[in-house]
Amino acid sequence: MSNCSKLGKKERAFGYSVIFPYLAYTAVFWGYPFIWMVVLAFTKWNYFSKPQFVLLSNFLRIFTDSLVIRIALNTLNFLAYLIPMVLFASLFFAMALTKVKFGKTFIMLSFLVANVSSGVAYSLLFSNLFSINGPINRLMDSLFGFTIPWFSNPQLAVFSICLIITWKFIGYYGLIIYAGLLSIPQSIYEAAELDGADKKTIFWKITLPLLNPSLITVTVLAITLTFGIFTEPYMITGGGPMQRTTTFLIYMYDTAFKRIDPSYATTVAIVTALVSYALVMLIRKFFEKEVVFV
Amino acid sequence: MRKVLVSLILGLIVALTWAVELVFWTAPNPLQEEFWKTVVAQWNKARPDIQIKVQTIPAAGSSEEAILTAIAAGNAPDFSENIFSGFAAQLADIGAIYPLDSFGADFQKLIETRKMKNIIEGWKIKGKYYVFPIYSNPMLFWWRGDLLKKLGYNNPPRTYNDIYEVSKKFADGKTKFTMQVVVGRNWWDRWFDFITYYYAASGGKPYIDVAKRKVNFGDDTGKQIVQFIYTMFEKKYTAVELGDNPFYKGVILGKITGPWEVNWAKETFPKVVPEIWFSAPPVPDNYPKDKPVYTFADSKGLVIYSTSKYKKEAFEFISWVFSNAQNDALWIEKTKMPPAREDLTTNPLFAKYMDDKFFKAYCEFVPYAVPPALIDKTIDIQQAMTTQLIEPLMYLKGKPLDILDKAVKEINKLLF
Repeated sequence: MSNCSKLGKKERAFGYSVIFPYLAYTAVFWGYPFIWMVVLAFTKWNYFSKPQFVLLSNFLRIFTDSLVIRIALNTLNFLAYLIPMVLFASLFFAMALTKVKFGKTFIMLSFLVANVSSGVAYSLLFSNLFSINGPINRLMDSLFGFTIPWFSNPQLAVFSICLIITWKFIGYYGLIIYAGLLSIPQSIYEAAELDGADKKTIFWKITLPLLNPSLITVTVLAITLTFGIFTEPYMITGGGPMQRTTTFLIYMYDTAFKRIDPSYATTVAIVTALVSYALVMLIRKFFEKEVVFV
Repeated sequence: MRKVLVSLILGLIVALTWAVELVFWTAPNPLQEEFWKTVVAQWNKARPDIQIKVQTIPAAGSSEEAILTAIAAGNAPDFSENIFSGFAAQLADIGAIYPLDSFGADFQKLIETRKMKNIIEGWKIKGKYYVFPIYSNPMLFWWRGDLLKKLGYNNPPRTYNDIYEVSKKFADGKTKFTMQVVVGRNWWDRWFDFITYYYAASGGKPYIDVAKRKVNFGDDTGKQIVQFIYTMFEKKYTAVELGDNPFYKGVILGKITGPWEVNWAKETFPKVVPEIWFSAPPVPDNYPKDKPVYTFADSKGLVIYSTSKYKKEAFEFISWVFSNAQNDALWIEKTKMPPAREDLTTNPLFAKYMDDKFFKAYCEFVPYAVPPALIDKTIDIQQAMTTQLIEPLMYLKGKPLDILDKAVKEINKLLF
């Protein structure tokens, strides 16, 4: 007897009524944009005229678009700074948190405030803080006699933006790693100490390997985050200098709303999503390890 | 009496019930908003059947982005201001704006009444008029007269060589720089640096041949300009970052700006303002002394969107505002920007405003102020000018002539 026939009419009606809002929501806010995305990727549209079918020309254009290559390199540049910075900072934060005896919740919340702050607001704040005659550079000048072009040097601009993003996410990612640290059984540390392992060995041979799931989670989140960087460069550097802080999202936005080419912007979005997904899968394949506490 | 009163009230109720409401987006500039709120209040009082709702263009990276986003979302207003000619060409290209010559004789009459027969010709897009120009701001250089006097000058520098000479006396490459050579990294900043320098050095020649869709600035004039920009950065007479308000803080001696800064400067830096000298943009050393120097015209206008149900009503409002020269006088009073009319210096109505040294200086340059190229790819081209031309010059990445050559090729590709 099938499950369906076991249920009465009323129960089935109740079931459908419960899932209907979700289905309707998905159809409107996911299904419709998804279909529209597919339509846009294979057509040329300018918001006014009817979309014209153009086969794969939007996809082919990506391979000849020098700016896409520039942005891909920029993304690698961001990844090269952001992943180590985020991993190190959040690991340090999590380990420091384990040493704190009082006010732990307050410290955690304080760091999380950055994560829920408005991107526009803190971008403006950092932009003024790091400007050539801002407080940081004034201090540097009075102490050491030189200033740092935080946002006007192409390479430093990438680094500075990564610094801001790290500041924003240190609390959130730190908590993920902190949870990972708490889940490592104390008995393993005790056994290691009995065997005469020093702190360094314990960190490298026990803590770090057993934190693998948390570290991979943070890495994956940071990768997806890197592919979605928008507010900070948009507000602070405008994608410059020398296009070094132009990200895929800035390019999509500009293409859709400045160049009036939503079709190509959509295609770039699809390709970006696929590339970031492939990168995440690669990271998981090579670095993810199953951790079992026996 | 009672009957009259009842019928009046009934009439008013009917008028209000049948009244149409038009949404009008104004520039995000408090002074312009003030002007529009005043005239719209008068209109709404006089015409209960056509009510105008004034809204500021929503906050975005630029007005253009806000408008395009609204068009994409189907939320475009009925009509809006703050439209520059290149953007209008882009909007006309996708059919987003309505040609004003469709209003026939009424449009022609308005052009004649507002004395803008020649001005409107510069706004023709593919044989049609889509924009009603409101103002034309010539871009001028402001110089710190007090600091130049201390250096022994009685006039602002005129040529590139003059600027180098002043720089040798003033710029130290660390805390003091001669002038702001590059305005910023936004696409529109190119109007106020490279394009302005090109208009000045070439005697107002267009930087793009719109008909042939080819770049003009790859010529000798362009070469002189890139050499100038490069030298200024190379010798540290200017810098990539100059900090906030460098002109008023005495970090730089000169900068380019429009009349929109006048009121703000008067309020924020009242001690500096009386010391300001004006000049045309700098020119190459061989530019004849007696020849007028052209500059860029930051000119914006009104458009009616194709999606509006009330195009006729919107035009009626536009005609009502700009047929009355008093409204242009009010515009000057509120915004200090020269209206796009040809009788500014001859109409006695505007005579009293000539006492203001800022307004007078800007008005004098109106005949030599050239608007941007009417090209649909303005944003792309100027973004390419930023990344291919200005930034390499700022960061001294290569030889100036090679940079220019490469930029011209890239931009020609975009235009093709």
